[in-house]
Amino acid sequence: MKAKPLYTFLSVFILALSIALLFGIQQLETSLKYQMENNLGAIDLVIGAKGSPLQLVLSSVLHIDNPTGNILYEDAKKISKNPLIKTAVPIAYGDNYKGYRIVGTTDEFAALYHGKLKKGREPKKAMEVILGHTVAEQENLKIGDTLLSSHGLVENDIDLHSEHLTVVGIYQPTKKVIDRLIVTNLKSVWEVHHHHNNNEEDKKEEDHLQHHENLDEGEEISSLLVSFRSPLALLTLPKRINEHTNMQAALPKYELEKLYQYTGIGFKTISWIAYMILVISCLSIFISLYKMVKERAFDLALLRTYGASNFQLIRMVAYEGLTIGFLAFMLGLLLSKAGLYFLFKMVETQYKQNMLQELPYQQFLQTGALVSIMILISISLAIYPIIKMNISTILSHEK
Amino acid sequence: MVQTDNLIFHYKKKENHIFKFPDITLNEQENLLILGKSGIGKTTLLHLLAGLLNPVSGEVMIEGVAINTLSHWGLDKFRGQHIGLIFQKNYAVQSLNIVENLQARLFFSGKSVNNKTIDFFLEQLGLKDCKKSKANELSEGQLQRLGIAMAVIHGPKVILADEPTSSLDDENCEMVINLLIKQAKQTKANLIVITHDHRIKPLFSNSISL
Repeated sequence: MKAKPLYTFLSVFILALSIALLFGIQQLETSLKYQMENNLGAIDLVIGAKGSPLQLVLSSVLHIDNPTGNILYEDAKKISKNPLIKTAVPIAYGDNYKGYRIVGTTDEFAALYHGKLKKGREPKKAMEVILGHTVAEQENLKIGDTLLSSHGLVENDIDLHSEHLTVVGIYQPTKKVIDRLIVTNLKSVWEVHHHHNNNEEDKKEEDHLQHHENLDEGEEISSLLVSFRSPLALLTLPKRINEHTNMQAALPKYELEKLYQYTGIGFKTISWIAYMILVISCLSIFISLYKMVKERAFDLALLRTYGASNFQLIRMVAYEGLTIGFLAFMLGLLLSKAGLYFLFKMVETQYKQNMLQELPYQQFLQTGALVSIMILISISLAIYPIIKMNISTILSHEK
Repeated sequence: MVQTDNLIFHYKKKENHIFKFPDITLNEQENLLILGKSGIGKTTLLHLLAGLLNPVSGEVMIEGVAINTLSHWGLDKFRGQHIGLIFQKNYAVQSLNIVENLQARLFFSGKSVNNKTIDFFLEQLGLKDCKKSKANELSEGQLQRLGIAMAVIHGPKVILADEPTSSLDDENCEMVINLLIKQAKQTKANLIVITHDHRIKPLFSNSISL
């Protein structure tokens, strides 16, 4: 090992790369799956403006995309009265505070995520907000603090509203999307935009046209989050809404499953590449150890005549392989952690959410075991010649 | 004490080529020269005596132990402790220097690694000046002496030498054999030398021909 530092480094590095990829991709997949499944909460159906159903689900359920548009609150209320619907929670968007979305909704919203108040109370009047756990923690906000929202869903300093929102409550951490939302009542959103529209009509708002073009025609919401009373609703309700109203109904489970399948292909591909690199790196460990055993066969045979047992020789060679394996494992873990950290830091500043999910212990163990077994197999194959060594033959032939 | 009884051996691939070896009996401090042409099985006999090969039938007794009845692991240990081997070409582990080779020898034979002992042998064999040299940096003569040191440093009961003089001139030949006899005497070991080199015959009182 000392004699071939570069080759050893290469072995360690290739193995580390495959380990990093394996752990990285698994953690990424776990995180994504968790985000999708967990944030669904009790939402069976999302009703919003016509457009892409996936976009509607992403914006209203995961809160990462722009809404498809607005719908009239009146229309939404009519649908809510359907006996097949258990709860229907309206949400209205329009603003953000430092990139955290402000959601106008009703008290039932938190219940969708089993969110409970940690401190404070529910908003009673307009311009009062409850902060998700992450928002309060990251922005260091307390009850009684005030904040200025900015228009649109992306952080900016130019387009600030002049109304102050007052923090009246903070939610307990839920590990769900609500942690990074600012929740208020519908009135706050509507009021801010009335004001906004009247005063700043000349501002250019191409991106967010949909939020404020027709305030005079009645109160609007972005979407309606529906949970069914019975699965029967699944068969009739979406079809009826899509065909007979100017709104669309999207099934989040279905849409996210579709999205997951698309991304799943990518995950699978990268996983296979990682496995291939793993095999190649184990092969390189095997070759370097095997070569060493063959080249030093004479020395090893000599050591046997000195009284060294097979076991002692095997230990010498295995030690080298195990050191490579151990170093690679550590480096691999470090690489995957660092890689994901930077990846998610990037996503986090974009979407203001921490989506990184720790790999389940069991899966970590499984992958770790797989890697260890592969390394052990390559070491075992390399030391096989030691076991089969015929000292007499090796020593009676000249080098 | 070395004793062999009806040793018969053949290699796996040449079953019709059977080696039959005469019985050997050596009491304490008795030395033996085994002479024979090449190909007659001298090295084979030496490897049988060292337990590197297993006889097809017959027995090798060293210090009252039938070495062929030992387990694989037990044989390794026994060999390390009680047998010293000197090879035709003198080999030591290439990547180690003289002192490290001797340390390894002591370590694997289960003896405590005593640097005083090592210095003593290096002094006696005239290797003191190059104790830090790697095995592949030594001259033929130095390697020969290192080979002897490797074979005797752990105080074996039997020293087995395979053609130790084949590459040496007359002067060195006699010196090496005398050195071996002296070392064997010091450690009260049996010395068995196999060779086709008739120059050393006068130095042994006890010899057989294969």
